[in-house]
Amino acid sequence: MAAAEETYKIVDSIKFSLLSPNEIRKLSTVEIQTADTYDEDGVPIVAGLMDGRLGTLEPRQKCRTCGNTAMSCPGHFGHIELAEPVIHVSFVKLLHRLLSVICRNCGRILLSDDKIKEYEETIKDVKTRLNTVPESLYKKILKHAKKTMECPHCGTQQYPIELVKPTSFHEAVEGGAPKIPPSAIRERLERISDDDLKLLGIDSQAARPEWMILQVLPVPPVSVRPSITLESGIRSEDDLTHKLVDIIRINQKLGEALESGVPINIIQELHELLQYHVTTYFDNEVSGLPPARHRSGRALKTICQRLKGKEGRFRGNLSGKRVDFSARTVISPDLNLDINEVGVPIELASRLTIPEKVTEWNLEEMRQLIRNGPDQYPGALYIVRTDGRRIRLEFVPERESIAEGLQPTFVVERHIRDGDIVLFNRQPSLHRMSIMAHSVRVLPHKTFRLNPCVCPPYNADFDGDEMNLHVPQGEEARTEARLLMQVQDQILSPRYGGPIIGAIRDLLSSAFLLTAKGTYLTREQVGRLVTAAGYSGELPPPDVKGSNPLWSGKAVFSLFIPAGMNFTSKSNLCNVFKCPVCKKEKCPHDSYIVIKDGVLKQGVVDKNSIGAEKSESLFHTIIKDYGPTTARGFLNSIAKLLDRFIMLKGFTYGFDELAVSEEVKDKIRKATEKAEERVDELIESYKKGTLDRLAGQTLDESLEIYIMNELSKVRDLAGEYADKYFPADNNGIIMARAGARGSMLNIGQMTACLGQQSIRGKRILRGYRDRTLPFFEPNDAGAEARGFVYSSYRDGLNPIEFFFHAIGGREGLVDTAVRTQQSGYMQRRLVNALEHLRVEYDGTVRDSTGNIIQFRYGEDGVDTAKSDHGKAVNTERLVDRVRLFSEKGTPASKKYVESKMNSIADKLNPSLVAELRRHLSEAKLTRKAVDQAIDLTIEGYVRALIEPGEAAGIVSAQSIGEPGTQMTLRTFHFAGVKEQNVTLGLPRLIEIVDARKIPSTPTMTVYLDKKHRTKREYAEDVANAITYTTLEDICESVVSDMGRMKVMAKLNANTMKIRGITLQEVRDALKPPNCQVKIDRYDVEVTSKEMEIPQFKRFTTRLRQFRIKGAPSVRKALVLEDKGEWIIRTEGSGLGYALEIPKVDRTRTVSNNVHEVAGVLGIEAARNVIMKEAIGVLEEQGLDVDIRHVMLVADMMTNSGVVLQVGRHGISGEKTSTLAKAAFEITIPTIVDASVKGTKDMLRGVAENVIVGRQIPMGTGLIDVYMSMPEEEASK
Amino acid sequence: MTKEIKKRDFTFEHELVPQHTILSKKELEELLARHRIKSYQLPSIRASDPAVLAIDAKPGDVLKIVRRSSTAGEVVIYRNVVED
Repeated sequence: MAAAEETYKIVDSIKFSLLSPNEIRKLSTVEIQTADTYDEDGVPIVAGLMDGRLGTLEPRQKCRTCGNTAMSCPGHFGHIELAEPVIHVSFVKLLHRLLSVICRNCGRILLSDDKIKEYEETIKDVKTRLNTVPESLYKKILKHAKKTMECPHCGTQQYPIELVKPTSFHEAVEGGAPKIPPSAIRERLERISDDDLKLLGIDSQAARPEWMILQVLPVPPVSVRPSITLESGIRSEDDLTHKLVDIIRINQKLGEALESGVPINIIQELHELLQYHVTTYFDNEVSGLPPARHRSGRALKTICQRLKGKEGRFRGNLSGKRVDFSARTVISPDLNLDINEVGVPIELASRLTIPEKVTEWNLEEMRQLIRNGPDQYPGALYIVRTDGRRIRLEFVPERESIAEGLQPTFVVERHIRDGDIVLFNRQPSLHRMSIMAHSVRVLPHKTFRLNPCVCPPYNADFDGDEMNLHVPQGEEARTEARLLMQVQDQILSPRYGGPIIGAIRDLLSSAFLLTAKGTYLTREQVGRLVTAAGYSGELPPPDVKGSNPLWSGKAVFSLFIPAGMNFTSKSNLCNVFKCPVCKKEKCPHDSYIVIKDGVLKQGVVDKNSIGAEKSESLFHTIIKDYGPTTARGFLNSIAKLLDRFIMLKGFTYGFDELAVSEEVKDKIRKATEKAEERVDELIESYKKGTLDRLAGQTLDESLEIYIMNELSKVRDLAGEYADKYFPADNNGIIMARAGARGSMLNIGQMTACLGQQSIRGKRILRGYRDRTLPFFEPNDAGAEARGFVYSSYRDGLNPIEFFFHAIGGREGLVDTAVRTQQSGYMQRRLVNALEHLRVEYDGTVRDSTGNIIQFRYGEDGVDTAKSDHGKAVNTERLVDRVRLFSEKGTPASKKYVESKMNSIADKLNPSLVAELRRHLSEAKLTRKAVDQAIDLTIEGYVRALIEPGEAAGIVSAQSIGEPGTQMTLRTFHFAGVKEQNVTLGLPRLIEIVDARKIPSTPTMTVYLDKKHRTKREYAEDVANAITYTTLEDICESVVSDMGRMKVMAKLNANTMKIRGITLQEVRDALKPPNCQVKIDRYDVEVTSKEMEIPQFKRFTTRLRQFRIKGAPSVRKALVLEDKGEWIIRTEGSGLGYALEIPKVDRTRTVSNNVHEVAGVLGIEAARNVIMKEAIGVLEEQGLDVDIRHVMLVADMMTNSGVVLQVGRHGISGEKTSTLAKAAFEITIPTIVDASVKGTKDMLRGVAENVIVGRQIPMGTGLIDVYMSMPEEEASK
Repeated sequence: MTKEIKKRDFTFEHELVPQHTILSKKELEELLARHRIKSYQLPSIRASDPAVLAIDAKPGDVLKIVRRSSTAGEVVIYRNVVED
């Protein structure tokens, strides 16, 4: 390889254009004249489709054109001269547009000279101001020219051109629409002037329109369509070759027919057949054409099909490639490994290699490796000599002499060994922590081994998961992997600025048990644990002295906490007990953690302290304050410690631990019986009609809601009884409390009562008519008949319950399958839309063409991964730390703090300044300490700033996309109020990034102004004013009198009162056009001027729907109290309307419809709504995503001044790079469009550079190292 | 939606709407020089945007927008007014 690499060039840019017939001929090495491929001897036929001049495929054959062997012959094009011109399908739409706007006689554009000049100037003007010409301008010109029916230049009458799909054009002249033959079209196109083409956005240098009609067809080299020899010796040709054979055959026939003067209709038929073959040769999925098929009936894969889609050239071979130096096998856990390590089976280690340069210093070592050869483990597979020759050691019988001949400057491709850096990956690679660098540990057995603490970032478990391993081959690659990708440097997730790596499962149970009150260990036990964890210092004095000294578990744990550390927090137990007021140090459950001077004084250590994906935990604080290396050491040792401890103690969850006493069972039974009674009562009152209807709900829906409430109480109650019954040393309870696995709810389900099975959040209602199963009475709304399961998993389910459980279980499975698909696609779109964004040296976030997206990354320039849970500096902890370590003295005056703060205001951002000021004024520090705190804050802030080159876009896209898989798909959720459903979860998030015109549940939150917000009546007035009310809504009856063309309506005084509508309002509003309206008290009479019956009928329905008041899409408006004020929540939205209503607070009223807000309050408000809505969804799902990521997406979506979708019709469609667009979704039209416009892809983005194989212009790829040469050498 | 309705519904007092002002020529030049950009490289805002109508900005103007920010407290950004 080395030799070949000497002459290489870097692709600087790629220009797209069309090939002219002459260029095709010039490119061609041979004109293909026969449709045959090989003769009987298997020799390619001259001037046939496999002509030797098209390149060679046989390994030892030389190419007849370039003289190279198959390895280095690039292949050469041939051509076919078509007997008659044929239209290229991909350009049909464009040709149609062109033909419609040019004169059929003189070929000029159908615009007057003045107009041409005007448009030319606008284009020039726009180009200077915006640097691009928007597509809309060309569309406008096109539309204008299309309307002209007489040529302003030669006065010829024009006719509309009709496109008959797929490829023929007809001109609608008087008395018929004859087809225009391609040759005639070609002639017309030839007449168009270059200047006119400019007005249509076509670069005549790149693409003359007549080239879109084919006269010469290029024939791709054989390397593009290799024939394969089957085992049976039969040659099988490529699909493209088959297609080309068809084309040549028909072409020959057509040629002969033309020469011999056969009837015109036969020629036409042949021509159409040729057109069909050429069309399907390019695209075999054209609508309106039957796809060309193989003999077996399979549709042929022709050129377009080769490029398009997931397995097409762009996505399958250019954006992602198959690689060498990789391995894949099953994974299993090993706590004895460092989190930075990966255990590699010895079999794999002796197939994977790293090239190592031989030097004086490693010469002997390398010789030994060569002697060992490929099969004995620390060995080598290849030697690369200085001249580039490779020696494959497998084929060398006598390695000793080769080893002796080894010289410095040779390269040995040796087996990987302990300490080598490799990349480890688990699919789906949803975020950057899905690929991390580990150092190798060669181990026996056949699986990859990894420390289970690293499972969360990979989302791996050991139920058969497989993972991939890649060995970087270059020195730079290995260095970057080691410095940037190592596990210890990825502990903090850029998604939320907290650790994603940490203790899981058993380790948490173990930690809980070890650090619980009353855990004491003997000297021997302590010794074992501590040595296993690698501790080699003095033991602390025992907690229980005497002849048999004992150490507490807390003391043992403390040995591994960094010395001098101070820390307080709450443990996971707090989530169980939910104390109304935290007693802090005096916590009765020992769940308030205090670490003082590196010693765990009190509190149990569990998920909240050392767990993965927990922010602001003990582990998090260690990384932030002591750095990743210390944190790694801490995690490694406690993992081993805890592992040993739980082995020492033993841990299992047995069947008998799920048993509850008869007493408790009785209690549960009673509770269920009671609930059943209440359900029966509800059903009874429903039947009687005394049931209260919930606002905004039908009576049936209300009943369902009541019953579900009642039944969910049962399950909770049953769970609670079980919870109280089980002692604290029940292993299930321990796991739940430690946060290791399972919840109290799960335990309740196993022991007491499984609870309601549901479909789409509702009880099970489907099945037979009016009942779920045939042995229930029809319309039985009772608990059992609608899928309530009384039994527990332990006791087992009865057949009916089992069936309902299966229903619920199936929904869960379907849900997961659907969700992974949806979130995967959302992720792909997000990444594609944001991949080219990076942070520049001036702190701005820009796209690949230098357009500013954000003036400062995340508005404060702080990198989330380097932040402390989203904040640049945790000032509270910092001030606290300074206070502890500073000498006592007189506190600094308020004035001093103030002046100090003011002097540094420009070095920090306003919110950080405010925070620091608050904590400083509370802490009462000495002057020196104040100075120190301020300095440390500034230092921490600067350190947390994002670095130039950071791929901010990709990180944000991943941070929003990755949690998508964890979201529920259950669309509806009560939004605070029981009566209102709002779409949430993944569907809503997708809706937001899709920028749908109307969300699936549009809603407004209407606030009232200061004067009116305290009274319910005012809110009701406003609610009435917003709710859409039609004439029909307030009428008792609407009758139409066909005879007299009148509509009589009787208003309902009662409804009008409820809806707050006065007669006067009706009088003012009811003014339909062309009508006479008479209103006499509650009688309304409308006389239409329309006299015909059908119109009158339509008129009646229109009148029923006539708007009296309200915003047209607001169907319901609910009045409710929120934080001491009355607000209105609406179903449907009309922000512009709502803001105009008096009493409405114009400063706070919002809608969740992004486009509506953009229209009423502008793009900046729309940006805020996008952020608010997205954060709302994520928070509701309990997912921690930093606001900066959402911000970047919102900024990108609103960058152009209108709200753009994340996807092909929005951000991705606006990309400047042709390759990036083609690789995303609409491959072929993108390329066609680019060639016509003569677009040049400057290759500045990510996707483009992946495709051409250059370095990615982000991060370290942005930097080049230059070296100045010594002068004399430079002059040489 | 007509211009008039847009203007009437719009209010700078709304909590979602940050303050927009037209940038002076000098400030604009400084801004462009600071980031070494042309004004088309700034984020855009449409001439029909209600906020633009409210302050009577025209295509070619650059707006200074002072956003309230949950990360930085207060932040200044700029948008280039473009025709639709």
